[in-house]
Amino acid sequence: MSFDKIRDPRKLRHQIGHMECDYVYTAGVAGERFYLALREDGKLLATRCDKCNITYMPPRMYCDKCFAELTNYKEVPLTGIIESYTITYFDMDGEVLPEPLVLAFIKIDQTDGGLIHTVGNIKPESLKIGTKVKALFKDKAKRTGALTDIKCFQPA
Amino acid sequence: MNIKKRVAVVGAGITLFRRRLKESGKELSFHAVNMALESAEMTRDDIDSVVMGTAPDAFDGIHMKSENLLDGAGATQKPYTHVYVGGGTGVFSPIGGWWHVASGMHDTCLVVCEEKMSPCFPHPQTAFRTIWDPITSRPLNPNLVWIFALEMHRYMKVHNIPKEHIAQVAVKNKGNALDHPSAQLGAKITVDDVLNSEIMVYPVNRLDISPPSDGAAALILASEDVARKYTDAPVWLDGVGWALDSAYWTNRDLYYPQYVEEAAKMAYKMAKINDPPKEVSFAEPYDPFTYKELHHLEGLQLAKKGEAPKLTVEGVTARDGDLPVCPSGGLLGVGNPIAAAGLMKCCEAFWQLRNEAGKRQVPKAETGVCQAWGDLMQVGTVCVFKRDS
Repeated sequence: MSFDKIRDPRKLRHQIGHMECDYVYTAGVAGERFYLALREDGKLLATRCDKCNITYMPPRMYCDKCFAELTNYKEVPLTGIIESYTITYFDMDGEVLPEPLVLAFIKIDQTDGGLIHTVGNIKPESLKIGTKVKALFKDKAKRTGALTDIKCFQPA
Repeated sequence: MNIKKRVAVVGAGITLFRRRLKESGKELSFHAVNMALESAEMTRDDIDSVVMGTAPDAFDGIHMKSENLLDGAGATQKPYTHVYVGGGTGVFSPIGGWWHVASGMHDTCLVVCEEKMSPCFPHPQTAFRTIWDPITSRPLNPNLVWIFALEMHRYMKVHNIPKEHIAQVAVKNKGNALDHPSAQLGAKITVDDVLNSEIMVYPVNRLDISPPSDGAAALILASEDVARKYTDAPVWLDGVGWALDSAYWTNRDLYYPQYVEEAAKMAYKMAKINDPPKEVSFAEPYDPFTYKELHHLEGLQLAKKGEAPKLTVEGVTARDGDLPVCPSGGLLGVGNPIAAAGLMKCCEAFWQLRNEAGKRQVPKAETGVCQAWGDLMQVGTVCVFKRDS
């Protein structure tokens, strides 16, 4: 038996439900260090495993490879290279965005990782994989200790 | 049954259990795994495969949370499996690990369980409100404590059990937990404290219930030949069993967990245990609520139906009794980060059977049984651990 022709399931015998959980996600040990440095100092912190020669960005409290606990946090440059990007023209409801949004994976200099972030102050048609960009921070008073304390990355 | 390899436990690790921990779920997993690796004198390179067990994703609030936890569990670029049977997961996860090793597929398997319940608001109980059938049950707006209360009341009525006897479980387990370094709610309390604590849902008082918690635990399994390379004192995972009943919990008598009996019989048969009360030297049954420990002791065939409360009152299940039960302190005392709490019980069996349980050590630990329970009062999971005799 198919209900395909019934567009509104509320015309059938039904119960309305919703899943009401809300969440407060705390940042964890490495996350706490990373986001405090963003907010307070406008700096990017990475962790370093000397044994495996890996610099983790964003920082982790353990090495993925040798599983040592990492406690060595170091400041790394605010610059990086666009490894890949995409341009989105529509919002979640299918409406056209006033400005196309550029999202990029940015490999942060002197690290083995990177951040996903928006790229601003550049015309989408002049974007290139390999472009050097730099983090543009919000004013300190407006920072909350979140990834969005970086307003966007822009050409360096 | 064609079991290719006998399976040993060679290492165990556990974090603190607390209402809210600073560490992320990945970081909690890391600490538990790191402790287990150190205790086995192994590195991540020695691990062939990883099994992760977690209860509902809705606690951490990350869908597919096992994938999120993967790197913290030491599983990067390794065969990785997520197993899940609700509250029964913690004792089901070593069974998942056992499949990998007993089948001969892998020499070693790391078993990790994590739960971080603190992100969930207004309370982790909220997540349980959507486990019900949306048509037959949810219109009444039930919560989990309801069904426990119904089950507890039925158990009390069938066997004519006074609440005072059930309350004794909280006194024992919270007392035992005073000696567990991870414990969240170790305490010296009395039966009156339990009876006088506020009634949550009759006949369940506040001190009948385990707390929500953050925490992680880990266990390392190895095949017999490989285990001997790492340790002179392997603990054997010689019996595994699990069984699930229908989610129609309205179609069975709640006074007895038949599905736990089925799981236990499967595990005992495999472990060649014919007379459980005689051959089992200690037990870690699942105790999210006081009466559940008693219910499960009966399901595990360690007490006759309706007689587990009597054993408790007579001190048989005390740490220095003839059949120590929850020497760890259980969920009531150590805490209940759901999947991690079940695996905590298996860690306890490992430490007890190696005589490494410190102040919690029970005398003459030869054979230990761990059990967890969950889903909609429908799953029993059982592991039987032994040491070399």
